[in-house]
Amino acid sequence: MKFSTLILAAASCAAGARAADLPALWAERVKCAVAVEYVTQTELERRPTVAYGTVVDSQGTIILPSAAIDLRIAPKQIKDFKVYLPGDPEGTPAEYLGRDAYTGWHFVRASAAILSRLVPVTAFAGPGAPRIAALADEVWGIGIRNKDEDFTPYILRSSVALLQLLPQRTAIAQQEVAGPGLPVFDRDGRFVGLGSSSFGQTFVEFSGADRDGSPIMLVNIEESSAFLTADEVLPYIGRIPKNVFGRPLAWLGAYGLEPMDREVAAFLKLESQSGAVVSEVLEGSPAEKAGLKAHDIILGIDGKPLPRFKPDRVVVDFVERQIAAHAPGEAMALSVLRGSERLELKSTLAEEPRLVREADREYFEKIGFSAREFVYGDAIARHSKVSDLSGVVAHLVKPNSPADLAGLRPDDWIKEIDGAEIADFASAAQKLTDIEKDATRSETVFLVSRGSDTAVLRIKLH
Amino acid sequence: MVNQSLFRSILGASALLFAPFATPAGASMSSGFDRLLDSVVRIDVSEVNYEDGARRIDASIGSGVILSQDGLILTNAHVAGPRAVDINVTLASLERVNAKLIGWDHWTDLSLIRLNLDDVKKRGLTFKHAEFGDSEKLYVGETVYAVGTPHGLTRTVTRGIISNNNRYFEDTEGVDGYETGNFNSWLQTDAAINPGNSGGPLVTEDGRVVGITSRAYLGANNLGFAIPSVAAKRVVAGLVKDGSITRSYIGIIPKALQDLEGFYDLAVNSGVLIDSVESGSPASEAGLKAGDIILSIDGRKVDGRFPEQLPTIQNTIASLPVGSSLVLDYKRGSSEASAALVTTKLESRMGEEWVSDTWGIGVRKVSRAFARENQLPDDTGVLVIGIQRGFPAEVAGLARGDIITKINQSPVDSLDVIRATDAAYASRPAPTLFEVQRERRVALVVLKP
Repeated sequence: MKFSTLILAAASCAAGARAADLPALWAERVKCAVAVEYVTQTELERRPTVAYGTVVDSQGTIILPSAAIDLRIAPKQIKDFKVYLPGDPEGTPAEYLGRDAYTGWHFVRASAAILSRLVPVTAFAGPGAPRIAALADEVWGIGIRNKDEDFTPYILRSSVALLQLLPQRTAIAQQEVAGPGLPVFDRDGRFVGLGSSSFGQTFVEFSGADRDGSPIMLVNIEESSAFLTADEVLPYIGRIPKNVFGRPLAWLGAYGLEPMDREVAAFLKLESQSGAVVSEVLEGSPAEKAGLKAHDIILGIDGKPLPRFKPDRVVVDFVERQIAAHAPGEAMALSVLRGSERLELKSTLAEEPRLVREADREYFEKIGFSAREFVYGDAIARHSKVSDLSGVVAHLVKPNSPADLAGLRPDDWIKEIDGAEIADFASAAQKLTDIEKDATRSETVFLVSRGSDTAVLRIKLH
Repeated sequence: MVNQSLFRSILGASALLFAPFATPAGASMSSGFDRLLDSVVRIDVSEVNYEDGARRIDASIGSGVILSQDGLILTNAHVAGPRAVDINVTLASLERVNAKLIGWDHWTDLSLIRLNLDDVKKRGLTFKHAEFGDSEKLYVGETVYAVGTPHGLTRTVTRGIISNNNRYFEDTEGVDGYETGNFNSWLQTDAAINPGNSGGPLVTEDGRVVGITSRAYLGANNLGFAIPSVAAKRVVAGLVKDGSITRSYIGIIPKALQDLEGFYDLAVNSGVLIDSVESGSPASEAGLKAGDIILSIDGRKVDGRFPEQLPTIQNTIASLPVGSSLVLDYKRGSSEASAALVTTKLESRMGEEWVSDTWGIGVRKVSRAFARENQLPDDTGVLVIGIQRGFPAEVAGLARGDIITKINQSPVDSLDVIRATDAAYASRPAPTLFEVQRERRVALVVLKP
């Protein structure tokens, strides 16, 4: 008797009161959504950016989607993080914690002052395993308006139209269901996923000049119809980076992975699985030490064949995530096809070499450019031997500055200054500082490398 | 060097047909000029183009000048080149005669064609030929005339002056993708030059040919350029003799010293700066580096203070027989040294082209120069220059700019390899595996029936 009453009560709650409850569910859940503003400050400009994020724990940790911050920008240049609660024009300072390579998420920590007004999304995850949205489930999520509308939150509703592995399990709803980085819930208010970057949709545009119409692709950057399902989110919210660079970063050094498409798989009699073609094996990398060669096809990792994805190119993300799931120093086994031969290679992943966003840089006002440390990736990009890392890179060239007028271009590799070879960033910085200090100086001469050519540039000072 | 994007070769006029008109007898500029008018021709060229992944024919109109009674006609390389399949010449008498290519030299943008003399004889046609003048004697401000076929308007004469008699520019893709301008300077004139003038003569009042009009700035007012006769005469002699011009190569890109003498501690008017040394070239192997100053070539001092002096220096080296030994004295920092090197043959970036109608793909052989420019490991492979929609290559995902390096796992080191697989495929279509280099990436695709 008691048992059946309980069931009945639950049933009436689910069937009868559901729709009426949505505003109440909304009012609670909107507290786990925030807007995050930060400033990108380069030598020449300050540029604010707004992104949306979800609170994931009681310390006020917020995750932002990968696209929220451009990876090419050095963490030193992104500053003044602020968290805005939906509907509140007053922001409070926040701290950037870094990006996790495996999930791609950026982590931000809100200040203690607003902790009491935040509710982590885990409060709505329910007991037991994460709730995975199923086909045709009704789902709703949160969107947030722009700053000039006080980041007013609003509700989006739809139902699940398709579930795909991309390679993470991704639900695609019929319409937009949340802002990218904002949470999605089911009708019971249970967390079912996190809005991901939206997909492009093709439209046909007609105009007076083009009456036949031409297809254009539009992307709604404020709202998305796709979301990562809860099982791709909840187990990983604890991956808070130890530093802003997200180190340690596992590195294999197999560059330019390209998917093996179905036709190629059939040609090579590998119909049942997918593969990734290795374009280059980087100098000194774990891949090179393991004996991997350019043009090898990776067919399996750690003894498991690479699964098939739709579309084929998803396999590249899959491999990259497999690497990121490891720590530097860990072993990773690769099954590869070389010509018609199958090989099992054992690699030991290493720490990724210093990245461009970690490189030292300094702006030289009088010459009008910023010099950046030449790092491993720069050598790779220039088809150059890694063993002779030297010189510096022109990172930014100020328009109409002496450097610009002399023909210096961003990404030029400065190998000599005033006829002397540049060994490293520190010596270049010293030399450039001395040149700028010397008021009697009328010129400086750079030897730069650009593509397959070099150029001697005479920079006239003052 | 001048901004390349401003340049357009002045070709490709649409055919505007006008009724011929008679020249009134009597008054004329000079007998020499009348003779010149009777030696200028209109040239209609049909050339193949593989850029759609199929054999397509493009038609264009240019001009030319008859140089001899045996029917040699000088025109631009971008008017009549190796892609030409039909060359039709309209004589001053308005009669049309076919011609064939004798040879071309894209570096100077000149080519030589010859009239079908049997046809001329059979039909009893007559023409006159022009004489060269001396472009070295031209002075700035001297009156010159351009004669040609602008926009298809046959035998149009325009008048101007020599605006500059020693203009320097290079254009790495100036002649239908081929390099031009490194070995000659140009005459600049304000005589109106329009598309279709290409290959026509620039003449003095006595009707002597001092230049071959070749280029103009589009969108500018009367900034036209001609190859000077001093360069043209040399090229004509070489093309008549061998059908091509062979040049020596050492692999340096020179730069004018301008005001850098002080920095390099040099006497004024001596030396030329090496801006770049091409990897794997004779200069690179001899140890020359960018930033070195060449002081003399085989003991003769060089003066590369101004950009206008660079073509002469380049031409000095290029004019040597291939395989010549050469000693360059150079300065590096405060020390001086000599480098001995042996020249090799100068090659263009553009390789031989071919099209497969079965696959719907146009390709060009990767040359050593192309490989060097694009930092490829070697010259294996063919570059995809055209794709035909709906054909196997496009369906498989090949794209323009891809470099096909292997077919069915064998390296494509010549056009013959791809020709042979294409023939095999045409007779018995079967899935064929292509390995392509796409920027820095390697992609595998299967072409199938």
